[in-house]
Amino acid sequence: MTTALQITDLTKRYPTGTEALKHVSLEIGAGEFFGLLGPNGAGKSTLIHCATGLASPTSGAVRIFGHDAIHDYGAARQKVGLAPQDINLDWFLTAQETLDYHGGYFGMAKQERRERSRELLDAFSLTSKRDERTTTLSGGMKRRLILARALMHRPELLILDEPTAGVDVELRLELWQYVQRINQEGTTVLLTTHYLEEAEQLCSRIAFINGGEIVAQGTSPELAETYAVASLEDAYLELVGRKELSRGSVSEISA
Amino acid sequence: MSAAQIRFAALLRREVSRFMKIKRQTVGAPLLETFLYISVFGAALGSRIDELEGIDYVVFIVPGLIMMAWAINAFSNNSSSILQQKMQRAIDDQLSSPASPLELLLAFSFGGFVRGMLVATLTFSAASVLVGIPIEHPLVLLPALFLVGFFFSQLGVLVGIRAEQFDDLSFAQQFVLQPLIFLGGVFYSASLLPQPFETITQLNPVYYMIGLVRYGFLGFTEESVALSLLFLAGATAALFAVNLRLFQTGHRLRA
Repeated sequence: MTTALQITDLTKRYPTGTEALKHVSLEIGAGEFFGLLGPNGAGKSTLIHCATGLASPTSGAVRIFGHDAIHDYGAARQKVGLAPQDINLDWFLTAQETLDYHGGYFGMAKQERRERSRELLDAFSLTSKRDERTTTLSGGMKRRLILARALMHRPELLILDEPTAGVDVELRLELWQYVQRINQEGTTVLLTTHYLEEAEQLCSRIAFINGGEIVAQGTSPELAETYAVASLEDAYLELVGRKELSRGSVSEISA
Repeated sequence: MSAAQIRFAALLRREVSRFMKIKRQTVGAPLLETFLYISVFGAALGSRIDELEGIDYVVFIVPGLIMMAWAINAFSNNSSSILQQKMQRAIDDQLSSPASPLELLLAFSFGGFVRGMLVATLTFSAASVLVGIPIEHPLVLLPALFLVGFFFSQLGVLVGIRAEQFDDLSFAQQFVLQPLIFLGGVFYSASLLPQPFETITQLNPVYYMIGLVRYGFLGFTEESVALSLLFLAGATAALFAVNLRLFQTGHRLRA
């Protein structure tokens, strides 16, 4: 199987001295729906930033579909679409311009940008808001626009950094339907989320990251087996050292 | 168009459209400010001063005002555009694209350059109608204006990258740039100043820029044209090299 994302011995140390990633190695195959789970500050976003050029690794290597993310960054970034955790839309742009400029940054011709942005605005129910500035959009619309922007240049690897944080149920389901569909069509997806049931339903494989290290990876049942517990949630609670919060323990206490 | 050309055009278009969307603030206000200077210093004060170095006083100050308009607009556009995008993290969309450090630097640089050129051209057009401004040495004037515009564009990029809050930009513009420009001989000839002010003025690099532009328009200068051009070209190239290095290393742009 072709490797979509290959991370080898990656270390990231910030100027403050904080070591956000410690010798991380990870491989995600082409076409996989891969989950990266871990508590806040575990290193999830740093890993994503190293893969997308928003952070410079201290050492180690990141390859995207065989392209080195540092030395061959142009080809590597061309294949990645990033929907970041924070809403980072440009205040000066409309929804349509947000997609159009993004397409331009990735070298898409005018006609192609026009057709693709029309398709995405329609797919994410933003057509009626196309000429409105991003500041006037609701939180859910901004979230949808960020996902549309990430997909604009037809990336082969889609990275979703907590894309459903703070969105309502129907939007969450709508987003997952769309992402599952493009995954089935061949797009590789890397997802970070705090919703374990989401990860369990969507991801074919999951990795736990904690303290800047990948501590376990496998399918959801494999992870439960690794920690000798019944579910992914219990495995996660073991990871963060909070097994007293397990629903099984809570039921026992209640009884 | 190649992918690289489309990318650069999109990056530049974004910078130009930003200031055009708020043109009352970015073009109208500086234009009005320049006219207030011409009215106060030219019409009111000028009626008492009559001539300076054999040149009508209003005509004497217009080249300096044109240069000042270009310099300040190029600087403030680039510094505020970069800082604002950094604060919103909207700049991540450009930074995670395949755009090279050189493409990013040139696009940010020319955004301010174009705004400065627009305000300076409008100032010149209007001043020409009101008082009639000659162009004695176009072959000196054009490179001088280009270099001045590009120098202050680079300075704006540098300050925008280094800045962490808008107060940093205000400090640079109000406490460093404005005094250097005002004390660089926009409104007077250095030879008229008593010592030590004449020498102090000659230590100000902006004095040589104003001298060049004034020579291009009016044929009058107090300093060597060739040396001034050489100094300006060298300073601009040095600043460009520093900024390129900052984009390459991702200083205060990437984590």
